[in-house]
Amino acid sequence: MPQLEFRQVERRFPVKRDLGDVLARRGRVWLHAVRGVDLAVRRGEILGIVGESGCGKSTLARIGVGLQPADGGAVLFDGRPLDGPDRAGRLQMVFQDPYSSLNPRMTIGAQLAEVVAHYQPQLSRAARGARVQEILAEVGLVPETALKFPHALSGGQRQRVSIARALCPGPEILVADEPVSALDASVQAQIINLLKRLNRDKGLTIVFISHDMNVVRYLCDRVAVMYLGEIVELQDSAALFAAAAHPYTRALIAAVPDVRRSQPMAEPISGEIPDPFAVLPGCRFAPRCPLAEAACQAPQPMRVLGQDGLVRCWKAVPAA
Amino acid sequence: MSLLSIRDLRTEFQSPSGIARAVDGVSFDVEPGEIFGIVGESGCGKSATCRSILRLFGGAAARIAGGQILLDGVGDLAAMPERQLAQVRGRDAAFIFQDPLTALNPTMKVGKQIAEVILRHRKVGRAEARAAALQLLRDVQVTSPERRLEAYPHELSGGLRQRVVIAMALALRPRLIIADEPTTALDVTVQDQILRLLKERRDSLGTSIILITHDLGVVSQICDRMAVMYAGRLVETGRVREVLDAPSHPYTRALLAALPGQVGRDRALTPIEGAPPSLIAPPPGCRFAPRCAHAVARCTLGDPPPLAPRAGAAPGHLDACILDEVSDAAA
Repeated sequence: MPQLEFRQVERRFPVKRDLGDVLARRGRVWLHAVRGVDLAVRRGEILGIVGESGCGKSTLARIGVGLQPADGGAVLFDGRPLDGPDRAGRLQMVFQDPYSSLNPRMTIGAQLAEVVAHYQPQLSRAARGARVQEILAEVGLVPETALKFPHALSGGQRQRVSIARALCPGPEILVADEPVSALDASVQAQIINLLKRLNRDKGLTIVFISHDMNVVRYLCDRVAVMYLGEIVELQDSAALFAAAAHPYTRALIAAVPDVRRSQPMAEPISGEIPDPFAVLPGCRFAPRCPLAEAACQAPQPMRVLGQDGLVRCWKAVPAA
Repeated sequence: MSLLSIRDLRTEFQSPSGIARAVDGVSFDVEPGEIFGIVGESGCGKSATCRSILRLFGGAAARIAGGQILLDGVGDLAAMPERQLAQVRGRDAAFIFQDPLTALNPTMKVGKQIAEVILRHRKVGRAEARAAALQLLRDVQVTSPERRLEAYPHELSGGLRQRVVIAMALALRPRLIIADEPTTALDVTVQDQILRLLKERRDSLGTSIILITHDLGVVSQICDRMAVMYAGRLVETGRVREVLDAPSHPYTRALLAALPGQVGRDRALTPIEGAPPSLIAPPPGCRFAPRCAHAVARCTLGDPPPLAPRAGAAPGHLDACILDEVSDAAA
């Protein structure tokens, strides 16, 4: 059984109508941030979710940890739907900007102790302090960090603290939304190593949301690629980077500049992500796809790809 | 002859805790038609260096404390009065910011903004300026350019906005474009398009470009030569393939080694321990020494070492490390 499962998860936002729309009695327009996503997160894996801005990856992550409701579908944890407080302890989130998730007026030790106290109210004051020290050590911070305020820390230390904060309830799944995007490369490597160690040594399941294909390739066991609210490919990381099946995945990988090469390999894809308002019946990538043909206008279900992959492109899978 | 020669540039920022020497003795040349990349991590002074060229400090308490910025046929920009420098901006050298929204006027249509740049510097009529604006949008491959002339910046996507900013920068055919993280806010597929566009404009117009970025991949993709900056100083410079394929300064090596994609998934990444030093009171000697895995006692003495060639290095490949041979072990 998957540890965390998204079933036909939907999320839409109403688009503001202006006076003209109201007078013309035009109906409400919805923006589908996430449309019918099925995704199973396996116990102990690092699952990457990649895609460009606006593809719905962050919204999906927030629905997963219960920070946002879904408009349709279900999120199951160990096969059962979870309600708020219960879920919160077992699923924790790490955000891109550690500064915004920390209280600037409390010492690191005090804010971590507060979280520990919330989830383990039976602990004595001393036991709480000991637990905080244990967690600080786990994320590679020295004990004195507990006495500092967030502003006195470097960017990398702050991100360690926000990971420590997420570890306080003893979660089984960590959902990390662009946790290294704001960090310089030298510091980024520290945080990536830390996440990898937490996964390996403690068996922590990690859902890693990122736009950085190099980081995802290094860190993740499996990768889901999102485009305009849908998953278009899901594969083992090694297989995906060796032979991506969906044309969008291939374009995304080809666009990443390589420090070892002066010229990019492929021709760029044209255009940008279109407005997500327009509801296309067929493949949503077709307007930018170099391989698009008439048949792409038909609805594209997920197709089985190899042993353990899925792809939303009829051209990527040989006809049965 | 070089288009731009920067000699011993020093730029200071006044901060509550003292004077920060953001640029502390930087020298480099940019040749005509060349794309020159400056890379470094946040706070290394790469932005301050390029903003010094046109003195675009945006109200920050900054001043050029020394050195020369020699632009071919124009003179020393560092010594030029503000009024004269205002004529140089746009005409001889133009600046592209990371966030195109801050560079565009939100209340003015795109076509009018581009035309205004032309009208300010050239004796042409409105209709002619507008026609030129249209052609500029075509040149930067904006789709349906006639319609975009009538659009406000907020109606355009991030990629289109950056194209408009590039069109404005190219409006007066400057010989130098300074681009400060022009693609950092964009998605990779759009970044790829913008980088190709900059390169294409260089190829067809011969414009020199200084590209500031934190992304070594971006430098690798479009730059001819590059410099690596650390704590206000250049630590390595040379042709891109030489610097990235055979880095000689420990900082450059460490930076490359920290990137994912250099080692297999089963091996841990190699971060650089510690943090960059204060620019108010930098450490003596080599500024990277406190974090350097190879540092020896003499690295921490005296002035920071200057850029110098190594025996056997390619011409123009210089670095600022006093050690004879840096072991490959850590890289």
